[in-house]
Amino acid sequence: MKNITLLFIAITALTLSAFKLVDSKSKPTEDIAPKGYAIGDEASDFSLKNIDDKMVSLANYPNAKGFIVTFTCNHCPYAVAYEQRIMNLDAKYASLGYPVIAISPNDPALVPEDGMDEMKKLASSKGYTFPYLLDEKQNVYPLFGATKTPHIFILHRENGKNIVKYIGAIDNNYANPDDVTERYVEDAVDALIAGTEIKLTSTKAIGCSIKDSRKKK
Amino acid sequence: MKLYTLIAFAFLLSSATIKTSTPVRTSVNYDQLKEIIEKHDDKLYVVNFWATWCRPCVEELPHFLEVSRSYDKQAPFQMILVSLDKAELLETEVAKVITKLHIDNDVYILDDNKRMNYWIPAIDSTWSGAIPATVFYKNGQKLHFTEGQLTKEELNTIIKKHL
Repeated sequence: MKNITLLFIAITALTLSAFKLVDSKSKPTEDIAPKGYAIGDEASDFSLKNIDDKMVSLANYPNAKGFIVTFTCNHCPYAVAYEQRIMNLDAKYASLGYPVIAISPNDPALVPEDGMDEMKKLASSKGYTFPYLLDEKQNVYPLFGATKTPHIFILHRENGKNIVKYIGAIDNNYANPDDVTERYVEDAVDALIAGTEIKLTSTKAIGCSIKDSRKKK
Repeated sequence: MKLYTLIAFAFLLSSATIKTSTPVRTSVNYDQLKEIIEKHDDKLYVVNFWATWCRPCVEELPHFLEVSRSYDKQAPFQMILVSLDKAELLETEVAKVITKLHIDNDVYILDDNKRMNYWIPAIDSTWSGAIPATVFYKNGQKLHFTEGQLTKEELNTIIKKHL
């Protein structure tokens, strides 16, 4: 009976397609929601501690044409699912001028697996080829407007400024890399390299919320 | 012995017919979910997106359930839990949480992974995709959306406002 009902629901669902578009500007914004960058904004540089205990800034990469800034972490199942794909992005694009800069935004006091020692362990076991930085003061992720892990911000260097060109997910299938049909980040970086327009400049995907004790409970 | 079996069978049969509203545990795609939560039946639908691995989600579930139970069964109110776990975890990880928390609300797994970029903004344009998130509907109209945890008081306030 349930199946028949569901089937009926599915059929009616197919016939109904209108969904409301809500103007985000007219809605009261959540007090916890950081404003963050929009496409076209200049991203400020930062200085965060890497897994080798050295500080890393975007300015340390004078030859970079841009960056694949990736907010990710150790513990989140979505971040775990994307570990290899983040490594693949760096392997493919660092030499083309777009290195991955990974930043862990969570408060290790709330999620011990996301602490620096654990980050070091993960990076060395996986063989990360890119910096894996800890946003210790948790003041970089709100600047970007990252809300979850993984959350990608592609930057393009234009006249010495790092301009935000893409915000969102890596691709359209976290669960199965073999069944990915849209490679959002690769498409965006490829477009930057080719000097063509990025077709999708922002995408949404489910992720783990960033753990910050200052957020209202 | 046979009599006992018969009685037990009869009891099972009767309880099966009485309990017509067994909570739903199934996976759906977004279009199916939309039909379920946007019904035009004057009921307030409180739809909570969660996952078994999501700490803040599991943390807020007990008081969501408490609020849900505080309303009369006849009240025009229904709380639906939409898990974003993988569909194959319905019988294992998700079922464990259902049992542990004695969840008698309908639980769906939203199994529409490849279309996240479509249904996340369709549910709310301000939703970044972080969970937990809770959306409130009545008669197909979205009345409220929250990304992040809700306290028991906040949840009750929103429900009372729209019930």
